[in-house]
Amino acid sequence: MANNPLDQFKIKEIFDGPQIGPIDLSFTNSSLWMVIASFAIVVFFGLTARGKLIPGRLQSMGEMSHEFIADMLKDTTGPEAVKFFPYIFTIFFFILFANLLGMNPYAFTTTSHIAVTAALAVFTILLVVVAGILRNGLKWFKIFAPSGLPLIMYIIIVPIEIISFISRPITLAVRLFANMTAGHVMLKLFAIFIAYLVGKGAMTGVAAIVPILGTTAIVALEFLVAALQAFVFAILTCVYLNDVYHVDH
Amino acid sequence: MVPMSDEKRTSVTSDLEDLERRLDEVRNRHEKAQEPDDNSGSLLGMAWRMSTELVVAVLVGTALGYGLDRFLGTQPWLLLLGIGFGFAAGIMNVLRSAEKMDAANADVPIGDDMPDDDDLDAD
Repeated sequence: MANNPLDQFKIKEIFDGPQIGPIDLSFTNSSLWMVIASFAIVVFFGLTARGKLIPGRLQSMGEMSHEFIADMLKDTTGPEAVKFFPYIFTIFFFILFANLLGMNPYAFTTTSHIAVTAALAVFTILLVVVAGILRNGLKWFKIFAPSGLPLIMYIIIVPIEIISFISRPITLAVRLFANMTAGHVMLKLFAIFIAYLVGKGAMTGVAAIVPILGTTAIVALEFLVAALQAFVFAILTCVYLNDVYHVDH
Repeated sequence: MVPMSDEKRTSVTSDLEDLERRLDEVRNRHEKAQEPDDNSGSLLGMAWRMSTELVVAVLVGTALGYGLDRFLGTQPWLLLLGIGFGFAAGIMNVLRSAEKMDAANADVPIGDDMPDDDDLDAD
């Protein structure tokens, strides 16, 4: 039995890949579960895409998820941002499926690695920067300097706005990674505690009921966190996309 | 013949009204039961969101100050300035996201939008 609660986050190589400079392109357990997540999403929407006029249960699941993301994007960014719908949809379902698959025993949680969440966050923020500059030109940089302030205020406001902008991808990445890692460590610790108590003898074995109940509660909480974090990541992406369309706050 | 059909119609409408009333009842009960759960979930998310936003902004400010210090050779002044600006940016982030949450979901209890006692023991 693996006693170290951090063992579950170990990256293991499945088969060798080429080495390009410092980058090792081997196929790992993390890559495997990312592929499984993507595959599961394709299967899910393949099953739900029926195109009947009166949707059955499966079809309405697909339609509701489409509507859910479309409404979220419309409400937070505005109807003109609808071209970013595919991105938000993809990122939401990738994180959701990765988180939920990670809840299975023996599964690897890809979102518990900051390398993965940081890559997602960097994509998001690069999208904002590139789309913002393409749409507004150099005027886009006015998001760092809101107009109509006395000159002296800009010395304070501009650095603050820049720091706040740089912290966005970092908060996105850290929040998802920390939530998933903390939850899985907690789960493992409680589970190990049960094994220790039972192993010690009959008296402490009875006391094991407490961590058993605790583990059950944490599993429920973790399912909530898995869905919530996917939602938070997606809605914050929508919020940040506001900067593409509303340069003057 | 005419009175009979009238009688029939009234009985049908009263049946429909009865069904409508019962449906409304079930719907109301269902909505009330769901509400507290939704709120507690998003509150947890909000707490996480705000705390990470504050901490990360301070870290980014500090890192920027440290980097500029190394680059310009002005230790430790830009580092100190960076911590100050980072903290200010963090506060601003938190205030901004609180404002957005408030606007996006008006019945979420934040600031002066606290729920009444009636709302809390609705179930």
